Parts: sequence; C-alpha cells; structure tokens
Amino acid sequence: MTNNAVSLNNVTKCFGAVRAVDDLSLDIPAGQTVALLGPNGAGKSTVLRLLLGLLAADSGTVRVFGGAPEAAIRSGRLAAMPQEGGLVSRTTVGELLGFVSGTYRAPLPLREVMAVAGLEELAGRRVERLSGGQAQRLRFALALAGDPELILLDEPTAALDVRARREFWESMRAFAARGRTVLFSTHYLEEADEYADRVVVIDRGRIVADGTSREIKRLVSLTTVSVTVSAPETAWLELLPGVTSVESRGERAHLRTRDADATVLALAEAGAVRDLEVVPAALEDAFIALTGADV
Amino acid sequence: MLGYIRLEIARARRDPGYVIMGFAMPVVMYLLFSNLGVAGDDHGWAVLHVMVSMAAFGAIGSAFNNGTGIAEDRTAGWLRQLRITPLAPVQVVAGKAGTGMLVVLPAIAGVCLSAALLNEVRLEIWQWVSIVLLLWAGSLPFTLLGLAIGYRFSGQTAAVLNIAANLVLAIVGGLWLPAEAFPSWLKALAEWTPSFAYADLARKIAFGQAPGTGVALILTGWLVTFGVLAVYGYRRAGRVV
Repeated sequence: MTNNAVSLNNVTKCFGAVRAVDDLSLDIPAGQTVALLGPNGAGKSTVLRLLLGLLAADSGTVRVFGGAPEAAIRSGRLAAMPQEGGLVSRTTVGELLGFVSGTYRAPLPLREVMAVAGLEELAGRRVERLSGGQAQRLRFALALAGDPELILLDEPTAALDVRARREFWESMRAFAARGRTVLFSTHYLEEADEYADRVVVIDRGRIVADGTSREIKRLVSLTTVSVTVSAPETAWLELLPGVTSVESRGERAHLRTRDADATVLALAEAGAVRDLEVVPAALEDAFIALTGADV
Repeated sequence: MLGYIRLEIARARRDPGYVIMGFAMPVVMYLLFSNLGVAGDDHGWAVLHVMVSMAAFGAIGSAFNNGTGIAEDRTAGWLRQLRITPLAPVQVVAGKAGTGMLVVLPAIAGVCLSAALLNEVRLEIWQWVSIVLLLWAGSLPFTLLGLAIGYRFSGQTAAVLNIAANLVLAIVGGLWLPAEAFPSWLKALAEWTPSFAYADLARKIAFGQAPGTGVALILTGWLVTFGVLAVYGYRRAGRVV
C-alpha cells in the first residue's frame, strides 16, 4: 500500500447529474508509466484533478504516496502539467520558470530543466508570444522544475505537431527512466501503446480495461473484414474463425473479427474474397466494444 | 512568497494600464488641478490639498488594479497553476496583498515629488515621512477590497466593479473636488467613506494638524470589513478553481 504512488479507492465524483468518475479504483505502484486512455468526456481530466486535490471526491478516498494530494504537492513529490492555461501573461519564460522552481525545496538546476524541455533559447521570450508547442514545453518544464517523484500530464501532446510530439516523449522517457512515476491522459491509442508500461482504459468514469498495451490491443483489435458475397444466406460467415458479428447490406457483408488473419484465410479457402477490404477498428469502435463487454 | 511578489511586480511594470493609471494619471491630474484656475492665496492651499487627494486617488487606483489582476489570473488558469506548486494558499493571498502594498508606492511618490519639485511645496521632513507612511499604510483596506472583488468576480465584471468603486470612492470621498465644497448631506456621507478618511489622515499632517481619531476608527472599520470580504472571496474562489 505504501509503495503505491497513486491509490484511488471507490472514488465517485458527480457534476450535477453527470457521474464524471463512477466508483473508480486504481492503484499505481511507484515507477510505472501509466496511460489513462479514453475518449473526450470519459473522466480522464476529472481523475487527474482529483489526484491534484483541485477537486474533492464525493465519496471514496484519493491517496498520493499514502497521503492527501495537497501534502504531496506541498512536499514537492507531486507535480502536474495542465492541458492548457497556467502561463501567466507579462512574464518571460525565464522569470516564470525561475519563480516556480524557487517554490521547491530541492529543485532541479534551472539549466537542466531548460535543456530537457528545449527552452534554452527562449529564456527571455515573453510567455504570451510563445507558439503552442513552445507553451506546452514550458508547461512541461514547470512540472519538472521541482524534480517530482510523480508527474501527472493531462493530454500533454494535444497541441503538438508530430515532431514536437516525438521530442516531448523522448524527454518524458528520460524522466521516467530515473525511476519516476508518470501518469498521462491521452485519447491516442498509439501514444498509450508506445510510451506506457500499462494502459488503463476509462469510459464514462469507469475503468473498462487495464493491462499492458499488448493486452489492451488484443482486447480492442476488432477489425472489420468486408467482402462481396453472391449467395443470399450469410449465416456461415458467422462461424468463421475470429468473427464476432456479421452485418449484411445488399451483397456486401461486413465481418467484425478479433483475428483478421484467420478470418481472411478462411474466406480465401472458401473462395469468397471478392472485393476484400480489411479496415482496422477506429478507437471509438474499440471503446464501444470495451464498454459493451463491461455492461 | 518573496519570489511571488517579485514576479508580480515584474508583471505590473509591463502593464500599460497600471503605469498610466497608477502613476502618470495621478501626477498629471495633480499638476492640472493644482495649477489651473487657482489664483493667489488659494494656490498654496491647493498644491497641498490636491497633493494628498491625487496621491490617495492614484494609490487607490493601483490597489484596485492589483485586485482586477486576480480575476484575470483565474481565467488564465494561473491560480490553479499556483495551487500545484508547494506555495500554501495563504502565501499566495499574502503575496498578492504584499504586491498591492508595493504597487501603490509610485503614485504616492510621484505626486509628492511633483509637489516638492514642481509646485514648490515645502514641508518639514517629519511631515513628508508621516504623509507618505500614512498614505502607504492606509491603502491596505483598498488593496483588500480589490482582492475581494478579484476573487469573487470574473475578469470583466471585476474590472468594471473596481473602476466603479474607484470612481465612487474618489468622487464621494472628496478626492476630485474637496468635500468642503459639497452640499451638507453629501459632506455628511463623505465623512463615512474610506477614501475620505484615508486622505484626511494625511491631509491633517500636511496642514500641520493632528489626525482625528474618528477618521482613523472609520478607516479601521473599513479595513476589517474589506478584510472579511477578501477572505470570503478567496474561500469561494478556492472551490471553483
């Protein structure tokens, strides 16, 4: 229990009639890099705000390093990078970073933080004149400044282009490699896949899947295989390996499958590969599949 | 907390609204009001009377401007960012109040220096020191009212409320036109305002009289009232950040 960086127990948080977080329990041992994956409105940001003590849970307990979030922030063990905002106007990058760094008892050397976040050449730049990517790097630097043991990132790469995204994750990896705990929210499956040790899929405030990215991918890889079939009856298609459901529209049959390779091979053996089309599941489909499985 | 005040002062310096309203305006208004249309014997009275009025007016404006900034900070997510640093909430409020106590100084110093250098106002050293200290310390209630408004209301509303409060306090408190010229009912009202009490304390010193305990009590009453409002506003804001 004390080894957990994060411990949520039966946490519920409602906004009016909406259950943003619904009886959610989650433990994250120190040292893990965890992705909180879910569509917009799934409750990711609410979970992170609860963990920062910016919101109070309606019921259940929220613990960070075994204590209240506020205590973890006060001691400099917990830091976070908000999705937006937080950069106050009429300051320079250097001033803002210097100030935040100065609030910590044992901050990282400023030069190191600037280097990790790629801000060396921007120290004198006014905060309101930063580009989206630069602003995001500054938010990251502010979160790193106190050398926290646990860092929370709310959709950290949402405003970044592909290159900036890659650079960001490289810095993040370097940080995690020092034994730090990272919890980030994202709605990019690929991002969770590539950078997290563990993926927690959340939807409508509940955890619908929790495992390594490989486990999650197996769970969500519902590929659609479409073929044109001349015979009117399609019941046999449902018996093919991997197929979970079949939908027919005119001559076109759409097969949902957990194992596209096996399904396609079986179709080929049956000589039914006319206008074959294989479409990987969109993330939304995956969520529908996951939440459907949960109900 | 000192780091926070330093950052806020750096921000204020780059705020054109503050530089104009908190320094240039009171000085220019002082030089205009004390020299235009004031003849002969009245001139000596005007340069001194208006000096205190305009220093007070500028200080109150700066104190309010500081409060308006809080509403903007909240909109920009800055208050939330502060909450995820090790700074305690009370340090943030104290830092902002401390900033308020510093940003009033340019108006006070600017007007007093213009009086001494351009209008040839001559006072004893102890008078200068007392006037500046009273104007400085007496600005605290206004800083607190600014904080109360800044925490309680959102950006645009807070800005409008602060400007309105500034103008009402300036006019009714006799900072623009001396309360002596008011009809008796307005003068009676004026004497209960914090702005009148604030300026009157320093003005008595300027004219070689002892400040009244009555006005000191009135200003203290407002200090407590605005302090309570500021705490209330902050508590409320804490829940919605």
